[in-house]
Amino acid sequence: MAQLFRPGANTVARTVMVAIIAVPILAIVLTFALWESPYATSQFVTQNQPVPFSHEHHVGRLGLDCRYCHTGVEQAAFAGLPPTHTCMTCHSQIWTTAAMLEPVRQSLAQNQPIRWVRVNRVPDYVYFDHSIHVAKGVGCTTCHGPIGRMPLTYRGEPLTMGWCLSCHRHPGSFVRPRDQVFNPDWQVPEDQDRAGAALVRQYMIDTSGLTDCSRCHR
Amino acid sequence: MSATIDGASRWLGPGAQSSEQITALISAPILERLSWRNWWIAFLAASALTVIMWISAIYLLAEGIGVWGVNSVIVWGFAIANYVWWIGIGNAGTLISALLLLTHQQWRSSLNRFAETMTLFAASIAGLFPIFHLGRPYVLYWIVPYPNRMGLWPQWRSALVWDFWAISVYILFSFLFWYAGLIPDLAVLRDRARNPTTRRIYGAFALGWRGSARHWDIQQRMYRAMAAIAVPMVCLVHSIVALDFAASLMPGWQETIFPPYFVVGALYSGFGIVVILAASLRWGFGFESLITREHFEVIARVLLAAATVMGISYAAEWFTAWYSNDAADVSQVIYQFTGTYWPMYLGQLLFNCIIPQVFWWPAARRSITAVVVVSVIINIGMWFERILIVWNTLGHGHMPSAWRIFLPTFWDWSLLFGSLGFFAFLFLLFTRVLPAVSIHEVNLLRHEEQKA
Amino acid sequence: MNRTPAELHTNRRRALQLLSSSLAIALTRCGEPREEIVPYVEMPERLVPGIPVRYATALPMAGYGRGVLGITIDGRPIKLEGNPRDEFGGGGTDIFAESAVLSLYDPDRSRIPIKDGIVASWEQFSGEWANGPGAGTANGGAGMALVTGRITSPTMLAGITALKMRYPELRQYRYEAAHDDAPRLGAQRAFGRNLDVIPHLGQADVIVVLDADPLGPGPNFLHNANEFSLRRNSQQPQRIHVAESGLTLMGAMADRRIAVRPQRIAQIARALASGFGVNTGAPGLSPSETAFVQTAAADLKQAGRGLILAGETQSGSVHALAHFLNSQLHAPVDLLNPADPEEQNHAASFSAFLRDVESGQIRSLIILDANPVYDSADSRQLAKAIAAIPFSVHCGCYANETADACRWHLPLSHPLESWGDLKSPGGATLLMQPLIRTLYDTRSSAELLNLLTMAAPMGARDLVRANWMPSGGSDFEQWWRQSLTAGVVPNSAPAPVSATAAMPSFETVQDPPQGVTLSLVPSPSVWDGRYANNAWLQECPAPFTKEVWGNAVQLSPEDAARIGVGFGDAIILRRGYSEIEAVAAVLKGQPQGAARAFLGQGRWRAGDIGNGIGVRMTALCPTGLERQIDGISIRAGGKTGLIHTTQYHTKLEGRDEDIFPLAASAQIASRLAQLKPDTGGIVPPLPADPYAWAMVIDNNLCIGCNACVIACQAENNVAVVGPDEVDLGRDMHWLRVDVYELDEADGLRRGFQPVPCMHCETAPCEPVCPVAASVHDHEGLNVQVYNRCIGTRFCESNCPYKVRRFNFFGYSRGQEYGNLGQPPVRAQHNPNVSVRGRGVMEKCTYCVQRISAARKNAEKEDRLIRDGEVKPACAVACPTHAIQFGNRNDANSAVAQLQHDPRHFSLLAHLDTRPRTTYLAKVWNPPAGQTG
Repeated sequence: MAQLFRPGANTVARTVMVAIIAVPILAIVLTFALWESPYATSQFVTQNQPVPFSHEHHVGRLGLDCRYCHTGVEQAAFAGLPPTHTCMTCHSQIWTTAAMLEPVRQSLAQNQPIRWVRVNRVPDYVYFDHSIHVAKGVGCTTCHGPIGRMPLTYRGEPLTMGWCLSCHRHPGSFVRPRDQVFNPDWQVPEDQDRAGAALVRQYMIDTSGLTDCSRCHR
Repeated sequence: MSATIDGASRWLGPGAQSSEQITALISAPILERLSWRNWWIAFLAASALTVIMWISAIYLLAEGIGVWGVNSVIVWGFAIANYVWWIGIGNAGTLISALLLLTHQQWRSSLNRFAETMTLFAASIAGLFPIFHLGRPYVLYWIVPYPNRMGLWPQWRSALVWDFWAISVYILFSFLFWYAGLIPDLAVLRDRARNPTTRRIYGAFALGWRGSARHWDIQQRMYRAMAAIAVPMVCLVHSIVALDFAASLMPGWQETIFPPYFVVGALYSGFGIVVILAASLRWGFGFESLITREHFEVIARVLLAAATVMGISYAAEWFTAWYSNDAADVSQVIYQFTGTYWPMYLGQLLFNCIIPQVFWWPAARRSITAVVVVSVIINIGMWFERILIVWNTLGHGHMPSAWRIFLPTFWDWSLLFGSLGFFAFLFLLFTRVLPAVSIHEVNLLRHEEQKA
Repeated sequence: MNRTPAELHTNRRRALQLLSSSLAIALTRCGEPREEIVPYVEMPERLVPGIPVRYATALPMAGYGRGVLGITIDGRPIKLEGNPRDEFGGGGTDIFAESAVLSLYDPDRSRIPIKDGIVASWEQFSGEWANGPGAGTANGGAGMALVTGRITSPTMLAGITALKMRYPELRQYRYEAAHDDAPRLGAQRAFGRNLDVIPHLGQADVIVVLDADPLGPGPNFLHNANEFSLRRNSQQPQRIHVAESGLTLMGAMADRRIAVRPQRIAQIARALASGFGVNTGAPGLSPSETAFVQTAAADLKQAGRGLILAGETQSGSVHALAHFLNSQLHAPVDLLNPADPEEQNHAASFSAFLRDVESGQIRSLIILDANPVYDSADSRQLAKAIAAIPFSVHCGCYANETADACRWHLPLSHPLESWGDLKSPGGATLLMQPLIRTLYDTRSSAELLNLLTMAAPMGARDLVRANWMPSGGSDFEQWWRQSLTAGVVPNSAPAPVSATAAMPSFETVQDPPQGVTLSLVPSPSVWDGRYANNAWLQECPAPFTKEVWGNAVQLSPEDAARIGVGFGDAIILRRGYSEIEAVAAVLKGQPQGAARAFLGQGRWRAGDIGNGIGVRMTALCPTGLERQIDGISIRAGGKTGLIHTTQYHTKLEGRDEDIFPLAASAQIASRLAQLKPDTGGIVPPLPADPYAWAMVIDNNLCIGCNACVIACQAENNVAVVGPDEVDLGRDMHWLRVDVYELDEADGLRRGFQPVPCMHCETAPCEPVCPVAASVHDHEGLNVQVYNRCIGTRFCESNCPYKVRRFNFFGYSRGQEYGNLGQPPVRAQHNPNVSVRGRGVMEKCTYCVQRISAARKNAEKEDRLIRDGEVKPACAVACPTHAIQFGNRNDANSAVAQLQHDPRHFSLLAHLDTRPRTTYLAKVWNPPAGQTG
């Protein structure tokens, strides 16, 4: 009677058996790797904005204070985006004809708001509050990255829950003196471990409750 | 044990007296042209129900579990009862097969194959219900520990997480156990099949079985080893299912007796289904010589024993309630007898404890019809038990202001009966592609019997 | 676009550009939706996006005002709270105040003037008015009629006076469906003139209630509830005797209660009076009545200050007698000149209106925010008569039944959209300021009157200011700003007048007639029907029946047995030739031969929510305003009735100690002492964080008014599920008020118990959740993480209190009942609370969003949260201050104190769940000579 299978069949059989174990595991690992990557977190992604606003220019070079435009940051959950009027305080004087700024002039003329594209975003069920973070010594660049060196604004950090927890678990390694919160060039000092711990005490941050679900989710 | 009945053998009829006879008989439904009529009728009926099941499932996923009768107090309903019922059936097959193998019960040989298959299908169907039952089934995977960017993990104290592991491991293991026993038969089919494609397919799954002494040695050792693992595992699985209820503080649930009596209940309903399947195979494929009256006779004895244990378990519940002297527990038992669902509760007692007592009479044990009818009744009774565990406790808990009743909807029923059809659908397919009775084990049995 | 090959030729740089841009596009495509931020062009003054702002304003309730604080976020009113500056109300709210914010966003509100069912405009109307009836100044506006409800607003009254000056012949009719004619008659008899009588429950040592419900819904509710709470738990508890013809909230608070047919009340009043030197001729009393009168009289004699209250359904003479006795007893009542200046009584005015409409004397009809077609017994006939009037205009927030009959319908602004002023029943003036610009093309009542007067067009704000300019004094602006911020015109509350009540005369009291006597009382959920289109109110369970979405007729078990119906069966009520089909609610404690039903249902032009709910009981009345109808015959039958209820079992089944201990005030301590929870469980106590939030609810103060339920619904975006889902047992209220019937030695007593989440320290719901969606936080809150929940519902099945609620459907989105979820309604949602989607569990959070806000404020100032700084919505709303919330770790906090009260106990303590929500037991104060 003729042979049903060629010798190669053995190899096939073995490969299949290995695959049955290996494939699922690899699939999970790969998915996770991808999920963590900027591709999924939109980190480092610049959006097409109506006006190519440059934080590098306004903050890095001209040294405007963050709060000049983001007025709500110290009182409200939402840091706030500047109304057209804020832009025009300067740009009614300088670059009054720059084509780049046409949308801003249009906005003022037609009383139509500028529609910016959101760059830093957390899901709706996350109740993030700028004011308390600022008050407790979490600087802008801690979550927004080197904003002072961004020609076009992109998401400086992944903004995933795991990333949030990294600070909520160990605030000591991130908090800075209150006078440095809005400093775009602040660098983590050598002795952050000691200084941070001291600040956490000074700010009366109760680390035990920082990882409660109710802190961010309601 | 009584002496052998029809001369030659006790467990095998006249039609199964030679290796060739047996092999031909068992492989006939797969390889020969039998009359397909009855099979088709059954298959069409089963397919219709299967369609109904999947329609109900899709409608459910589209609309949300509000389509069921569940409410804010009786938050669990048919889904949980069906799940427990099916997983119970799912437990019997492996138990029968493994336990009887280890205890050298020869009569298992003609039952274990389809019993294990029953287990496989029933457990898989059971596994569907907890998924359907979720409010957000699409995030089911959150109860699995997998690396995620939320830095979150399942909640290991929850019986549902234990459940997840128990069931998935059980299904996986049952499959391996079943397959291990199947390999030699696959080889037989490979060799008997005429159509080359058929031969190649069976050949592929036979994994190059040549029946050498070494092959048999390995297969037998592995098979027995697995059997040794299977027995404790079966008990474990259903005990964990029981913990879904027992690890709570609701009156009528938090009882230490739950795990053992769930295991017995599982064995009980499982044997019931085995009887039904055995009878239909015997009738449908003319397996009279493989599945003899003797088989039904011994199963009837098992059912009788189980029925008694169930009766004792129920009584134990009443006693502990009275003995605990806890207002909620006592009122729970009273509610079972006098509350909204008292007819079902009496039905449960009648079907599970009283009626099977007819098996004290040998005549009843030896009448296949009787054994089948009782088995059907038992399984109805067992479903009553499961749904009442949910309804009575949730609907009559600690706060009288929150006492409610459950009003089943069409979709509750359609999914229940649909799942029955789906099981039949799978089983009927199985009977035409794989040997419903283990060829090599029956041959072994014949060999031993003729030796004796 | 088309390019030349040259352009298409790509060099290395361009290739890189393409690469990068395509990469950027690819990256932006993944995962998240594209979202826009739209800033202002010019930021409004003093606005910080996302920061809630509170404004004081006032809401009308049957023409009277009650002060509220409106919380607005980004210009959206999302929640109302009581205004403590309104002393009369005492700072609490009721369900009507709480739910006003939902009606503001009601999509069924009329948005534009309508003529003959066709969209019209304000200009068109003023044109037709000017050339039509308005021109009729020559004949002094003869045949012109104005129908209004009760009006206390000074500006409105001024407007009406102006209108009357322009049209001297104008006839004004004023009526309220839920009227106070009986008290007015009583005052007229006793004092010879109209006087508003304001009782002070808190100052009375003994209260004898004759078929009244001071704690029932109404303009005085907040005042009475507050006063009641002041005295309830004092060292010298007052004693309350109630003789009534149906179940009332006051009756549930009674120390001694008898149920009698309404006609017997007059007899009892007389018998009582005879004990105070009034020769009334001894009326025949039954033994139980005699016993009641004796104990009550004895108590009154001993008491320092007694108080007698007669009910709206009683006759004027009973009220007159009550006034007389009160003056004898130096009862704590204020006599005030009525805030409603109208002399004529409601019923009289209403029947006059019906007569004049029928007789065709009215040529042009203006109906201002009233609904006579619905209120009158024979709606069809009245509608026909109105339709026959050449010029008829209906002004209201909704195009209701009456609008249907009128030629014109003019949309009024919602109170939260309009300027105005109102008087509280206490006489103080409250100012209304809009919390939001009018959503639609509507006008306020004041503007409308101005328009009808054809005076120079003025905005409502200017009208109000103009009206107050004289009383403003020298620095008007400053006065105005001060009054607006307070919401109350400073020291505008009038001083009580002094008047002596004359000894009343008695008409012969006839024996109860054949058949059942039906008392019609305002609905505890939709008042007289004007709130019928508010889904929150329709789904607000009635105090005793727990009925929602309907108005069943409350029958005594005896009557029910006689006609052979049970709870929820269909019945037919008949008087003369008028018949209605209704549903029976059989209630213990309802006197035989007396039935009770709620007004306000059975509307057919209320809107998507209110249409076709319940039965219009007034169809049985002769005219429509009668509140007590004799000779009703009731029989089983009619379409199969279905009663929608949220609580099916009101007995305690011997679990009193565990759930609702009740005893005479003397016994309660010893009774509770036996069942102190043994917290010797194996689970160690929670670590003492700075905060351990806890709630203490006083069953003794809870009057079952449901204010907390609706407040919770408003604050926490709790969805409405509708009658069908309720029938399946799927109500969503996070906070339910359980009612229990307790058979005590001296008869049946009832108790209310609000049940929110217990926030157990050893919470049974937590260990069973497979994904840790139900977890504890460090401040002792048992939090439910919606976005983590997968919906196994194991938590609820293991919750002994059954306080968790599941979204079986997407109640808040798409599958919600009626109006909810439509865009305007979404605007009411509290932005600080997630709107839960389908398939997730939800429950009371102790208003964690408020705790969180307070914590942030405190931490910004590097301090701890002060006691009373955080209050959940229910605690703020409660008019009797029965719900206290605070930090248990702070020994000085209110809750910490209350937890040492001898009446303190926890629900199902023996389960050792260690609830953070605990209770104070209800007690009663046995009358003289009767021990517990």
